[in-house]
Amino acid sequence: MNAERNTGAESTLEARALKKSYGDFEAVKGVDFRVFGGECFGFLGPNGAGKTTTMKMIYGAVIPTAGELAVAGLDVYHHEREIKRRIGVVPQENNLDDELKVRENLLIYGRYYDLPRKVVLQRTDELLDFMQLSEKAEATVEQLSGGMKRRLLIARALINDPEIVVLDEPTTGLDPQARLLVWDRLRELTTEGKTLILTTHYMEEAARLCDRLVIMEGGLIIADGTPGELVEEHVSPQVLELTADHRSLEELLSVVEGADSVERTGDETVLVYTEDADTLLENVRSSGVDIENTVYRQAGLEDVFLRLTGRRLIE
Amino acid sequence: MDTIRIPSARGSFRVWQRNVTIFRKYWKTILFPNFVEPLLYLAALGLGLGAFIQQGGINGQSYVQFVAPGLLASNAMFAASFESTFNTFVKLKIDKIYDAIITTPVNAEDVVAGEYLWAGTRSALYGTAFLAMIVVLGIVFREPLVTSWWALLLPLMLLVIGIMFSVLGTLFTSLIERIDLYAYYFTLVVTPLFLLSGVFFPVDNFPAPVPQVAWFTPLYHAVNVCRELATGPSPGVLVDVAWILVFTGVLALIPVQIMRRRLIG
Ligand SMILES: Nc1ncnc2c1ncn2[C@@H]1O[C@H](COP(=O)(O)OP(=O)(O)OP(=O)(O)O)[C@@H](O)[C@H]1O
Ligand SMILES: [Mg+2]
Repeated sequence: MNAERNTGAESTLEARALKKSYGDFEAVKGVDFRVFGGECFGFLGPNGAGKTTTMKMIYGAVIPTAGELAVAGLDVYHHEREIKRRIGVVPQENNLDDELKVRENLLIYGRYYDLPRKVVLQRTDELLDFMQLSEKAEATVEQLSGGMKRRLLIARALINDPEIVVLDEPTTGLDPQARLLVWDRLRELTTEGKTLILTTHYMEEAARLCDRLVIMEGGLIIADGTPGELVEEHVSPQVLELTADHRSLEELLSVVEGADSVERTGDETVLVYTEDADTLLENVRSSGVDIENTVYRQAGLEDVFLRLTGRRLIE
Repeated sequence: MDTIRIPSARGSFRVWQRNVTIFRKYWKTILFPNFVEPLLYLAALGLGLGAFIQQGGINGQSYVQFVAPGLLASNAMFAASFESTFNTFVKLKIDKIYDAIITTPVNAEDVVAGEYLWAGTRSALYGTAFLAMIVVLGIVFREPLVTSWWALLLPLMLLVIGIMFSVLGTLFTSLIERIDLYAYYFTLVVTPLFLLSGVFFPVDNFPAPVPQVAWFTPLYHAVNVCRELATGPSPGVLVDVAWILVFTGVLALIPVQIMRRRLIG
């Protein structure tokens, strides 16, 4: 499947038939995607879908088993150092240097890029401020909360002023306020012209930040497009969330049979997708089935995800 | 993709530099036991056991004169071995320090070479502190333990010896998954080397095949070099130096490749 748009634009990242096997197990089974300069490109997918493996192939921690992958126009098989010089990485798993203080984490990291000392010092202060960590500059990593560590990882990924930033679940473990801060900062980065590639389990995050995204499952890309396109293409626009006692559930299911699609989540809740919620709700009411709760809303990425993977996003 | 990876000087230096930065914060706390330990050996064996060894000592030296330079070599072995085993393992598997470093222009092979250099540096630092100590003790007790200006080359030699044992330790680290397995390395490799490489008694006069076997082990040559530099070398020391360089050179790239494969999926 090809996640492609504005074919005129210069792509900054391009994967073709990209595969990765660990021993006999194929974690990524051949994916194609293109990311254009200055956009935010998302990867959604259930646990084990192959998102991290794909990110690692981009930042050189995993070597593809087959296929092509170019990052910043450079082939990953032959230009690992040059690619790494031009990208920033927020790994899924925290790997801050525990033996160093918060500020030192950025300073020492800057040295790995051979940046002049003056530049590193200046960026360190700017980035601590950017991620609202200035107060913790002299703290040890151990003294940080989980969310602060995550923010420090993001600051660290920016020390070399990268063109492309790969963020593997940047906001996992953040409180809602910190998440808003990170969203705000990530948008600022795209305004500066940086390209962002991010994975997330938060549908709202993907909908707000990503210009385009793909949904992965079982090592394959199963859908792609802008958030709007995905919703339009894969689900009907209106959703009724009906909760009934499990004894009445069968009855309820037969009443809503005529809807565009129906998904069961858990024992008692049914999601009904339709073009015309009013009529449907009318039918349910007149059938006399005992409904405990009714929620009406517009369909979103969450519904696309559920539809395509049979699973709810974790939120 | 299975080409042999050669570390870059720049990347290795950066890794070495990270370790120096951390060491500078803690050196006072970590240095102490590392040179007190050989002093304990020196006191217990050199003075205690030495008192029972007949006058005339070994090859015309008193026992404490004989033991001191040997301990210098074994001290370097221990410093580099701890660095390349437990410390490296923690950075690799527990703190994931290397995973972070290799997302920068510093490659996995640079990480390994930087750690070799660092372990060597640590050996040289500890060894030099210990060397200074035995020089002073020699003066205080009027029994010179270091009698040659060639001893000024010892810090450099300890660096090389440290790198050699770091290569060996890293080789073991690159092959194991569990930290408990170092018990094997220390019991079956480090301790026998320590006891049987001529630190405490000359092995050259033992019946065959003891000297022949010793010749094939690294600490034996390290002890020879340190002893000769401390007291004025004979040309034969060049063989020991060459042995150390060849052994280190031949093995050095093997852990680099294995560690790279562990760090990069
Ligand atoms: N080093 C490895 N060795 C063997 N299998 C692995 C390895 N790393 C990942 N896998 C497997 O590859 C598959 C994809 O893993 P990956 O980490 O890419 O998933 P993910 O989409 O990032 O999941 P999550 O949302 O949980 O982070 C999983 O089935 C996982 O078990
Ligand atoms: Mg993941």
